[in-house]
Amino acid sequence: MRELLRRSTFLKPLQALALLYGLWQLTAWCVPAWPSAHDVFRVLGADLRDPGFQHALLGSARRMAIGYTLVMAIGIGGGMLLGRLPLIDQVLGSVAVALHAIPGAAWVPLSIIWFGMTEQAVIFTILLGAAGIVMVSTDTGIREVPPLITRAARTMGAFGLRYFWFVVVPAAIPKIVDGLRLAWAFGWRALMAGELLTSVSGLGQLLNQVAKAQQLDQLLAIMLLIAAVGIGVDALIFKRLEHAVRVRWGLAS
Amino acid sequence: MRVELQHVSKSFRHNGQTVEVLHDINLTVAPGEFVCLLGPTGCGKSTIVNLVAGLETPNAGTILVDGRPIAGPGPRRVVVFQDAALFPWLTVLGNVEFGLRMARVPKTERHTAAMAYIKLVHLSKFAHAYPHQLSGGMRQRAAIARALVMQPDILLMDEPFGALDAQTRAVLQEELLEIWRRTGCSILFVTHNIREATGLADRVYVISSRPGRIRHVEPISTPRPRHAENPSLVECQRKILGVLEEEIEKVMRDELGESIHIAHDQAGPNRLREMHS
Ligand SMILES: Nc1ncnc2c1ncn2[C@@H]1O[C@H](COP(=O)(O)OP(=O)(O)OP(=O)(O)O)[C@@H](O)[C@H]1O
Ligand SMILES: [Mg+2]
Repeated sequence: MRELLRRSTFLKPLQALALLYGLWQLTAWCVPAWPSAHDVFRVLGADLRDPGFQHALLGSARRMAIGYTLVMAIGIGGGMLLGRLPLIDQVLGSVAVALHAIPGAAWVPLSIIWFGMTEQAVIFTILLGAAGIVMVSTDTGIREVPPLITRAARTMGAFGLRYFWFVVVPAAIPKIVDGLRLAWAFGWRALMAGELLTSVSGLGQLLNQVAKAQQLDQLLAIMLLIAAVGIGVDALIFKRLEHAVRVRWGLAS
Repeated sequence: MRVELQHVSKSFRHNGQTVEVLHDINLTVAPGEFVCLLGPTGCGKSTIVNLVAGLETPNAGTILVDGRPIAGPGPRRVVVFQDAALFPWLTVLGNVEFGLRMARVPKTERHTAAMAYIKLVHLSKFAHAYPHQLSGGMRQRAAIARALVMQPDILLMDEPFGALDAQTRAVLQEELLEIWRRTGCSILFVTHNIREATGLADRVYVISSRPGRIRHVEPISTPRPRHAENPSLVECQRKILGVLEEEIEKVMRDELGESIHIAHDQAGPNRLREMHS
């Protein structure tokens, strides 16, 4: 019985995907010049074996890795600083909120002015598109330590920097992880925007190329891959991490 | 450590109104003394604990520790909170080690000390479990170990055994007395259970509610180990029960409103029997 349940939760998303696939095939029969799912997957399969495509994919991955690392460092570091220094928080806190209200794509022109049509411009776009949310959520987590936790810590002699490091920071981790998960989504979007508008070799730039060449099947294949990576990383890493943290911190069961 | 509360009053602001929770509390815990606070729910027992811990400041009066006014919380006065308050990101071991870590005790030393106290509260098998994997009673025991390992001068315990079954409670009461004998620390122990109070304490303060005042002080000189049937204990319990009976009736009248007549031979004794068990 338990085995059956486990399999059904595994089967459900597969069934949904199969249904979508079928619907797509149907629309392809009805609409002229609209590639079928089968075609698009075949194109994607061929792309993934193509060295040029692989190069572009690796380029995107590298930029995302560098950008996201910077987002984590600057977002968490900055958020902690803001949480610790209420005076600066009043000024820079609102700046951080304003920053993260600007969509990643809107940073591309500025990045290009500063860095030219370079890889750095793309990374800078990721940073500006995603660091704000990490900063704001870290700041919130730092300032909203449950009062009972603080009380227990105080009576056991936790003060100053040790209190901050051993109590405030771990207490803020659920909020920080929330921010990191959102930052992945924001950063991934910013990466695509950056690559679309600069001519740095990557998935975004490939989109540009195939669109100019009117290759609809190629375009859909690349978009499918962008969606799959975005969802896949979120589901495999961030969703799991968030759930594990929430369980341990007693926020979910 | 001697703790003295002199004419302590405490008010809270609630919905724009100031409510006096404690009024003119005078209370002493002598060095090495075991003192119980007994009173109906909401009378301000936890507030007294927080005041002594230095987590709250009184609106009037002074709180002296060894003759000096207290300046905030510190590890000489450790609290076992009413709801455990373990750090969820640390294992039982990590929680018990926490205070020692703050005191910069070297790693091997604090590990040995922590494991000894974890064993004392019968949690050795769960030393590496996280709080969310424990039952309420196990969490409470971990919190007790976390406080004891600090070897504080005074241990402030806010209904520490409230969530435990009778058997575990009896075992831990014995353990607590044993630890108290061995370490010679003072204990301020909150409970709403008359048997628990008379079984443990050198002195029981009975607190009334709204505002909390000390209604009665009952010294208990019965030598330990104490048996609940001991005639002198039963006499103490009877006296405290008499004071509480009036108090509980007052609370119920307040809560249910004057219009409802409390049948003296129904509601009252039921509530009391509960407190007595
Ligand atoms: N921070 C606060 N703000 C406002 N009111 C408070 C606050 N803390 C306590 N009170 C009020 O003070 C009163 C006493 O609370 P306290 O927690 O000390 O009671 P208690 O005797 O420990 O009760 P119980 O046995 O249920 O734990 C209650 O009426 C409560 O509403
Ligand atoms: Mg209480």
